[in-house]
Amino acid sequence: MELKRRLTTGAAGRLLVTVIMLALAIVMIIPFLWMISTSLKTPAEVFKYPIEWIPSHPTWAHHHKVWTGPKSFGTYYLNSLKISIIGMVGATFLSAFAAYGFARIEFKGRNALFMIYLSMMMVPPQVLFVPKFIMFEWAGIYNTHLALILPGLFTIFGVFMLRQFFLSIPHEISESAFLDGAGHFRIFFRLVLPLAKPALATLAIIDFSWQWNDYENALVFLIDEKLYTVPLGLQNFILENTVDYNGMMAAASAGILPMIAVFVIGQRFIIQGLTNSAVKG
Amino acid sequence: MYNNWMRRQRLLGYVFIGPSMLGVLVFFLIPAVYSFGLMFTNYKFMNPSIEFVGVDNIVRMLHDDLFYLSLRNTVVFLLAVPVSIALGFVVAVILNQKIYLKKLLRGLYFMPYITSGVAVAFVWMLLFQPKQGPINGFLRSVGIEHPPGWLSTTTSSMYAIDIIWVWFLLGYNMIIYLAALQEVSGELLEAAKIDGARPTQILRKIIWPLVSPTTFLLLITGLIMTIKTFGIIQATTQGGPGNSTTILSLYVYQNAFRYYDMGYAATISWALFAIILLITLLQWLGQKRWVHY
Repeated sequence: MELKRRLTTGAAGRLLVTVIMLALAIVMIIPFLWMISTSLKTPAEVFKYPIEWIPSHPTWAHHHKVWTGPKSFGTYYLNSLKISIIGMVGATFLSAFAAYGFARIEFKGRNALFMIYLSMMMVPPQVLFVPKFIMFEWAGIYNTHLALILPGLFTIFGVFMLRQFFLSIPHEISESAFLDGAGHFRIFFRLVLPLAKPALATLAIIDFSWQWNDYENALVFLIDEKLYTVPLGLQNFILENTVDYNGMMAAASAGILPMIAVFVIGQRFIIQGLTNSAVKG
Repeated sequence: MYNNWMRRQRLLGYVFIGPSMLGVLVFFLIPAVYSFGLMFTNYKFMNPSIEFVGVDNIVRMLHDDLFYLSLRNTVVFLLAVPVSIALGFVVAVILNQKIYLKKLLRGLYFMPYITSGVAVAFVWMLLFQPKQGPINGFLRSVGIEHPPGWLSTTTSSMYAIDIIWVWFLLGYNMIIYLAALQEVSGELLEAAKIDGARPTQILRKIIWPLVSPTTFLLLITGLIMTIKTFGIIQATTQGGPGNSTTILSLYVYQNAFRYYDMGYAATISWALFAIILLITLLQWLGQKRWVHY
């Protein structure tokens, strides 16, 4: 597409548009840049204007404070990693399993069940908070990691997304396997799962980012500080250090940097997966 | 023999969907039914006496000023969705041209969406700091003597939240639009150009109508996703100052876990559901009417 032909046909025009868009993109990521920069400054430099993007006296003291001491982010990290990784692996596998059933096996009531399943996406989490709180209390998993891990194993979006992908795999593949005597389990594990690796990777990354950033469920279902995940630990740090802006930004960096790493590594998969499920859905 | 085997293979469908259906039953369907029941009780946490109170909670909600205020705030919050869609469209159209560094730019615009949970809310809190924060520092330096108080005043706080939310959603909308633009046929655009259509005409008369299904999808999913959120507000303002950022989803949370008024919380949560249902119905009706395929 060449909308602004005169501008974009010449290399100079292309360069100009690129520079403008790059400038705007940098504005988009200013919060991240400011966060990192502030976390390395001294308190007196926080609100200095014009902003000193590269601190003249960089210090690691605030990061040190976040990572050591009685309320180290180490504990929150381990908690978050545990919950996010179990959730990610479990949700990806269970979603693939269900998606295969919905996409590639014709059984009675399939479409009705799928509609019921999808309709649950309309139910806001707020409707479920109170009854889940009561149920978890009763089952003895309130204020344990299980209260986040168990519901985290199920993602309606994941089943929806993988079903779209499985539908796109040609039917001839499973038919010829059928004639060779392979059952659905064999086809699922030997044929479909290997073909679906990119889609599985996409879902795994998206799900990990959801679980890592999940603040609302942790807020409702965890009270013990020992059990806190990174978002809760961050909130706690900020409540207890209301004027330590450098420390706050060091803590925020601790929460965000892993996601930036995941994003940089998995960007290709995330973008592919999101566009597939949205546009072709 | 073979037929028997085939029949058994078909029954495996239930085995495949079984675990996920069980999960939905336990973590969605049963709690939803439970919550619906709670709406008609005066259940309070730690209070053993639980009574059936009929529609008292609903009547109370309809006379609750704070409910209407949070409804209003929710509407203001939702304004962020169309704004971010419009901006996402513009960015996507430009990135879809022949420019350099396409992948890098796409990544940078998309970054807030994937990396940001509550951590970023705290960064924005400092950026918006009214007296010394960098945003107002910038505004003063360009000659605006009385910049807004952002999150700190009742009149501006909801709009400050909107800015964060637009920033957050923009990249997602852009990515989906970029995919949709790939499907717009190049021949069609070429033909329009040969017929002498101006770029703005092509944009308004050809591209915009062609991507209208995407716009519609983004609008519906964006509205539903936004209406369910409260983390960003709980982290920055806790609904303040003076309830000016209390949106419905946060109001449910506050009633349930600050006042332990769980019957009432359940009632408001169903009002939230009703709004989502309404949006979904509009989707069904609207798809035929407003979307040009």
